[in-house]
Amino acid sequence: MTPTELPADNAPAASSRTASIEFSGSKSAFTKLWLVNLLLSIITLGIYSAWAKVRNNQYLYGHTQIEGHRFQYLAKPLQILRGRIIAVVFFVAYGFISSLNPALGGLMALLLLLLMPWLIVQGLKFTLRNSAYRGVRFSFEGTYGGVFVHFLLLPIVGVVTLYLAMPWVVQRIQKYTYENATYGGKPFTLNTSAGEYYKAVLLCLGIGIAAIVVFSILMSVFGIAAVLSSASEPGYGGQMSQGAAISFIIGYLFTIICFMFISYLISAVYQGMIRNHIFNNLSAEDIFKTHSDVKLMPFTGLMITNALIVLFTLGLGYPVTRIRKQKFLAAATTVTLEPAIDHLVNTVDETHSAFGEEAAGLFDVDLSLT
Amino acid sequence: MNDQHSVTGLYQAGNSSHSTPARAMVTERQVVIYQQQGGQPVMSAVHGDYRFSEAIAGLPVDLIFADNSRFIPDDAGYRWKHLSKSQTITEWLETHWSAVLVAAVFLPFFLWFMVAVVIPASSNVVAESLPQVVADELGQQSLTIIDAAYMEPSELAASEQENIRQRWHDILQRLNIPPDTYSLQFRRWNHGANAMALADGTVIVTDSIARLMKDNPQQLDAVLLHEIGHVEHKHSLKILTQSTVTSLLFAMMFGDVEGMGEIMLGAGTGLAQASFSRDMERDADQFAFQELQSLGRSPQDFADAMRALEASHPLRIAAGQSDCTQDCDNNSTEPGFFDYLSSHPATEERIRAAEALAEKQKMQQ
Ligand SMILES: [Zn+2]
Repeated sequence: MTPTELPADNAPAASSRTASIEFSGSKSAFTKLWLVNLLLSIITLGIYSAWAKVRNNQYLYGHTQIEGHRFQYLAKPLQILRGRIIAVVFFVAYGFISSLNPALGGLMALLLLLLMPWLIVQGLKFTLRNSAYRGVRFSFEGTYGGVFVHFLLLPIVGVVTLYLAMPWVVQRIQKYTYENATYGGKPFTLNTSAGEYYKAVLLCLGIGIAAIVVFSILMSVFGIAAVLSSASEPGYGGQMSQGAAISFIIGYLFTIICFMFISYLISAVYQGMIRNHIFNNLSAEDIFKTHSDVKLMPFTGLMITNALIVLFTLGLGYPVTRIRKQKFLAAATTVTLEPAIDHLVNTVDETHSAFGEEAAGLFDVDLSLT
Repeated sequence: MNDQHSVTGLYQAGNSSHSTPARAMVTERQVVIYQQQGGQPVMSAVHGDYRFSEAIAGLPVDLIFADNSRFIPDDAGYRWKHLSKSQTITEWLETHWSAVLVAAVFLPFFLWFMVAVVIPASSNVVAESLPQVVADELGQQSLTIIDAAYMEPSELAASEQENIRQRWHDILQRLNIPPDTYSLQFRRWNHGANAMALADGTVIVTDSIARLMKDNPQQLDAVLLHEIGHVEHKHSLKILTQSTVTSLLFAMMFGDVEGMGEIMLGAGTGLAQASFSRDMERDADQFAFQELQSLGRSPQDFADAMRALEASHPLRIAAGQSDCTQDCDNNSTEPGFFDYLSSHPATEERIRAAEALAEKQKMQQ
């Protein structure tokens, strides 16, 4: 028997419908999976890490559903392994050469910089083409030139303008990235405005200044209290200086904790606002439109507790934080689906080159679209 | 009818977003997918002509047919009978804390073995096989950096330099080492008596150590022999390859582990380097002891030199720790006497080793 044309009988709706995003991942299940894969990666000297990456992603994608259809991560471990080996060999050679001959190393770094846009394109292509929903793959259509302008030139503009243009630059970069993504051959549209980015940055700046003022007041109150208490201590001068030393250490720790807290707070507020702005303005012609309603207070709480979990478990709590964030974001997101989504044709075939993604990963270029 | 069962699920087309509720009939020989509505068959394949998707906790295992269409069971926990052994084992490991626990206990031993045995051994092999041009390039690079940033031209009198140079040539000659593979350099360095060896056979003597051992030139000979030992054993190259191999392995092992990688990399590299540099000092010491004896001298010279050096750095001893963080960063690939004070007990141990050997030598005479 040959495969037959499938009758399109799954209740093709005539009008658009709104769907929620269900995330069914569990903290303990993902922790086990992540840990076992980490340990297997270490024991196989990293060779298994390609399989680990695929399995971790398959877990997270597969547990994300819209209308009962699961997302799929389709990358092949061997592709990733090959890319990873090329990238690692290149970086070891680079490290070795630049320690022998800094001039030659500098030349290599320059070449790498010119190669960067290509790597970013390849990386985004790889990730998106291996992501699918309802059997239809995503893709990325960006070009070397476009990425060169957006990822290399615009940030320079941002720095030259003393970061005044930076929010605009970030808006341009994200708009470029999303608008070159496609699903079923249909391009995305992202109608973000730089004004919203400036608003987010100004709000964060305001929060930062307010937090520092509060912190300074607390510190001076604390400082006076410390001086008073050590002065009121009876006894020798030596004891007094010991008391002062202790309050100095406590003050120092307090300062570090406060600044960490402030930076987590600011980054969570920024991420939450921008996430809402992007996902409230993202659509693909006749297919879907996303909506995001991330509430800043709970999101900030989540991000700060996540940071603490990672810190106090020396990174081993990462899977727990990942599930928490994923659950939260899924719950805050809805999608409006157009009837056309039931009649999409897959335009993308399986593809090659994981090298781009690996190299970009080693460079800390964040390619995630979530 | 024996051993035939059916599974409900969704049949997803291979090349479009079409899908339909379906039922998979599994028989001894094949799988047939029937549409739920109407019951017509839409796909069939004999076992072996289709693939399974990965078995992952909480997710269904899809049947993937040749045209990329899939049958997705409704029951996420359903596992097909024909699933391969390796898939079953992988999922079992990933869903049991006992597997995590066993691996977590085993892991420290594994990492220790890598750091203490595999990495040093493999870097030694690599270092031995590197061509001389690498050593030359590395040595010249280091000397340029040292001259530019850390040391000044020597202020020793020409006659003093000439004296030391004379003894240096004697040593090389008597060890049968061609003199043009080595070069002796004098430099002024503000951080005390020291000597160091570069990869290409350049040995740097600071003014302070020359003055410190002016009246006991045989002590300086012992120090120079120790430095020659570093060069003969290719220690600079070994440090370079060792750090390269370590970062390679750790990048592979922890490459995409967010957060963890950096911590592990730092700890692992630090650990490996500490044990590696201790071993290298011991090797260079052994070389010095041996050659002192073959020159008809006593390892006691080395012990005396160490004591003299120790006495000339009283502050560091009091602090009980190395200040290498400041001074040695630039040439962390260069073993020298920098490290000899890195920990007091180790220095004591090295002196004792030299004295024990000297004692034995005396007894034999
Ligand atoms: Zn040494």
